[in-house]
Amino acid sequence: MTMLISWVGNIPDFAVPFALAALGLILIERTGVLALGAEGLMLVGALSGIGASLMTGGSTVWALIIAMIAAAVVSQLFALMVLVMRINQVISGLALVFFCQGLTGLLGTLMNWTNKPVQGLQAQPLWPLSELPLVGKLFVQNPVVYLTPVIFLLAVLVLNRTVLGLRVRAVGENPQAADAAGISVLAYRCAAIAAGSALIGLAGAYISVLSTKMWVADMIGGRGWIAVALVIFARWAPWKALAGALLFGCIEALIPQMAASGIRLPQYFVFMTPYAVTLGVMIWVAIVSRDNNSQPGALGEPFIREERR
Amino acid sequence: MFDATNFQPLLVRRYTLEVRQQMSWYWQAIVIALALVFGLLISAAILVTAGVPAGELLNEFVILTLFDSQSLRAVLFQAAPLIMVGLAGCLAFRARFWNLGLEGQMIWGAIGATAISLFEIGPPSLRLPLMMLSALICGLLWALTPVLLKLHLKVNEIISTLMLNYIALNFLLHLVYGSWKDPRDSFPYSPQYRTFERLPEVFDGLSLAVVLALLTALFVLWFTGVSRASLYLRFVDNGLGVARAVGVPVNRVVLGTVLLSGALAGVAGFMVTAGQEGRLTQSFYVGYGFSGILIAFLARNQPIAATVVALLVATLFVAGRSLQVFYQIPFSMVQLIQAILVICVASSEFFIHHRIRRIQGGQS
Repeated sequence: MTMLISWVGNIPDFAVPFALAALGLILIERTGVLALGAEGLMLVGALSGIGASLMTGGSTVWALIIAMIAAAVVSQLFALMVLVMRINQVISGLALVFFCQGLTGLLGTLMNWTNKPVQGLQAQPLWPLSELPLVGKLFVQNPVVYLTPVIFLLAVLVLNRTVLGLRVRAVGENPQAADAAGISVLAYRCAAIAAGSALIGLAGAYISVLSTKMWVADMIGGRGWIAVALVIFARWAPWKALAGALLFGCIEALIPQMAASGIRLPQYFVFMTPYAVTLGVMIWVAIVSRDNNSQPGALGEPFIREERR
Repeated sequence: MFDATNFQPLLVRRYTLEVRQQMSWYWQAIVIALALVFGLLISAAILVTAGVPAGELLNEFVILTLFDSQSLRAVLFQAAPLIMVGLAGCLAFRARFWNLGLEGQMIWGAIGATAISLFEIGPPSLRLPLMMLSALICGLLWALTPVLLKLHLKVNEIISTLMLNYIALNFLLHLVYGSWKDPRDSFPYSPQYRTFERLPEVFDGLSLAVVLALLTALFVLWFTGVSRASLYLRFVDNGLGVARAVGVPVNRVVLGTVLLSGALAGVAGFMVTAGQEGRLTQSFYVGYGFSGILIAFLARNQPIAATVVALLVATLFVAGRSLQVFYQIPFSMVQLIQAILVICVASSEFFIHHRIRRIQGGQS
């Protein structure tokens, strides 16, 4: 029983980065830009979070904010590539990932930020739920965990209930029509890339500053790509993405749990499970929702005014 | 009209962007060359900021690697697996398949080759061809799952190949930290290959790997230029609907081409372990996956161009390794330079396809 409680209690810690990154990706992709760069932007967030934390003497809030800003700034390189230079969005996304991998690897070594522990945030009990017997422990989490559902709620409200959200969706579904209605497609896409990337950067910083509490090169280890898969799994719907993130949180939280309880499984096979599950989920989605196509209509297509269809 | 007017009216109003009909090939070449030079200058600036003296940089990249015969040999040696992954990238992209699983296929190729060595399968004289065959088959099989998933279930191959990379990587770690660990010391690598299991030098210090890579380039040239498959691939590249309508066996062509791509990547893995490392190590594949994509992209999927680009990337690899040794610049610098080059060259396409013209009097 205590094992179950401690497992469930650890799930949010693993689920939050997936959730935030997937939400950021949904925001970008709803405007019709195929964003494959999550892995790279998470690395940028992770490194700048640690860097800020070490340089400001341990201010975690600043670390998270700076990580968001850094990811948003780097994402403008991607915006430049896909929006202005009209480079193929797949190539741009891949180039961004490798750019960020190289950059963070280089900076992490040069600034000597590797393997330096940081403080992180103190877990806060969520009164009165934390006073409950037995399950009370589940409600002692760091503040970002509580913030995540709020961010989701805000994003869903904005996306589905406001004019801004309507315009964002219009830009993603039919940029030509949106353009004719006087919406600047490029401005919306650019802003969405910045905002979504900030969330992705926060997801990365969560992993480095709050979970592992240190920086190691390439520490995201494919979680960004799993987030990309999650978005496909969730059919670009935020709540489903949150559910998917919880599923992956369950799996990732299980790994240290099994090690702690002394179950002897081949370690590296256990490390494979998130990737194998991602593959399985992709296959499952392909089988189940073949005809249900809720992908944004203009996803992956550059918007070029003079080439109206 | 250029739509950036929407948010930068002051700056852009007097300029318009037009789609160019055509640009002569030598202008295209000049634009791409300028983009490459620009990218290299940025990279050089980063390296200098990172603490490498500018004079050393010139020495490292140009003089040592191209005018010194020993270094030139090192570059050629390094180029062999890069040519293979580059060709693998060309093949997959020709079939419109984003094979980001080159590293996973390399890992399986190396595992397959090492298995032959470890379990001493076949007589010594046949050992090397057997290892290569095993690498080829293992790489091919690792590419089979994503291509079948894509063809039959439309599963996004970018994600599936990447996930398979991570699975292959963890399997490699399982082997080198586990049952395949060299019993003589506790480092995570397999026992060393015997001499007859290493790729020999053929003439004048030139490794057999280089010869194999060049032969493969010729084969890929035939496959993508002369063979019946090349014609089919051109249809596939222009759109699946038309290809199916004129009776191209799309699924078979894509399947075969991607499997060939995986097989080449597998052989590349064999080349690194049997050529450079001499054993299965835990990180022999690092950097090759992206390099394969980069080489194919820069070469526009042309096998001969890919061979040339692979030589340039090999220079970068060799120079990067020595920078790592002498200035503690991490190897990720090589990735960064490659990414910068891709961004620059891809951006240059914009200037090939568009022309910026000034408008008199600001009528927009």
